[in-house]
Amino acid sequence: MNSKLRFGSLVLVSALMLGIAVPLAMAQDNASQDQEKPQKEEKPKKKKGGFFGGLKAISGSSSEQQEVTTTAGSKTVGEGEEIGNAKPTAADRQAVNGMEKYSISQDDLAKFQEEGQLKR
Amino acid sequence: MQPIVSRRGIWMLGALTALALLSPPADVHAQIFDRLKRATKKAEEVQKKLEPMSVEEEREVGREVAAKLIAALHLYKDEALTRYVNMVGATVAAQSERQDIQYHFAVLDSDDINAFSAPGGYVFITKGAVALCEDESELGGVLAHEVGHIAGKHVLKIVERDKTLRVGMEESKAQMPGSDYLNKMSQGILVKIIDQGLAPGDEYDADQRGLKYAHAAGYPATGLSRFLTKLDQATQQGGKSFWTRTHPPVSERNVRLEKAITAEHWEDADRPNLADRFAAQTQMLKPKA
Repeated sequence: MNSKLRFGSLVLVSALMLGIAVPLAMAQDNASQDQEKPQKEEKPKKKKGGFFGGLKAISGSSSEQQEVTTTAGSKTVGEGEEIGNAKPTAADRQAVNGMEKYSISQDDLAKFQEEGQLKR
Repeated sequence: MQPIVSRRGIWMLGALTALALLSPPADVHAQIFDRLKRATKKAEEVQKKLEPMSVEEEREVGREVAAKLIAALHLYKDEALTRYVNMVGATVAAQSERQDIQYHFAVLDSDDINAFSAPGGYVFITKGAVALCEDESELGGVLAHEVGHIAGKHVLKIVERDKTLRVGMEESKAQMPGSDYLNKMSQGILVKIIDQGLAPGDEYDADQRGLKYAHAAGYPATGLSRFLTKLDQATQQGGKSFWTRTHPPVSERNVRLEKAITAEHWEDADRPNLADRFAAQTQMLKPKA
């Protein structure tokens, strides 16, 4: 065999190996990702900082609601947090609609502003 | 002897075999396509979370915050007072540079001295805060400060800056009242405005905006600073307010307000405080003899 034919054989063998290696590597990659998933799930969830940091669902008695122990120590549940945990009823949502629909006639507003020497 | 296959033929056959072997099988193609699709979707979601909120989205968030405030503190159901607060509120809000939303005003049935604003134009004042005012210019000053927060998009910017807040917003039911997304978002906003407080810069900005709106509406410019002084005194005597707990010190706020009034020459002594009208419109809040 001359050298060109030997080189051709080498190319063929290399291609054969690559053709087998690429799908195998991808299959292994998928398998390792699948294995990683449960490991990730096992990790304890980190407490989110920033805007939602420290948000806790309030449950139990009202005395329990007043004091919540966190990793940073004992702290009183904030008023904002209590309001944030409120569950609006249909009537509360209706009240929001009422607030949106509340309107003052332009004539009444103009009269009000005029009486108070205010600007329109 | 002539070879059965020419050298060129061998090369062609080799190249074709290599191509056939190098190209991954169909299921691998599908995996690659699937990954690309997921990456594109993820990129689109991240992009959406970084985009400014639409006015409609802002309104839905504000509506949920308003519903929670009403659920927890309840509206003060007095038609005359609601009407009066809406009149004063509409007068100062008309001077706001932000007119792409409607402003809504309501009184909360709480003796604490507080005022709140939520994205989308929702402004609340407690009856305790109304009762602390001595004239209409003070009420106008407080409402104008809250309108200033909405016009300055102070809460909205916090929400927009933190893309983790908007997790779930792309879900089809995210904008439905009471959805997980709106519930979580409104909880975060309430904790921020009531427990943690906005950045001092945002409070000073709302003061300056409020000062401008109230003065442009025709009220004396000193309404807000007079209210703040009384609020400071009231909380020292046991009055409850998150304003003094989370906002910058009243002394510093008043210094800045006075500086702006002087700089703008807004010391108009002839403007009416409208104390008599205020007293007549809020007489239901006065303790009965």
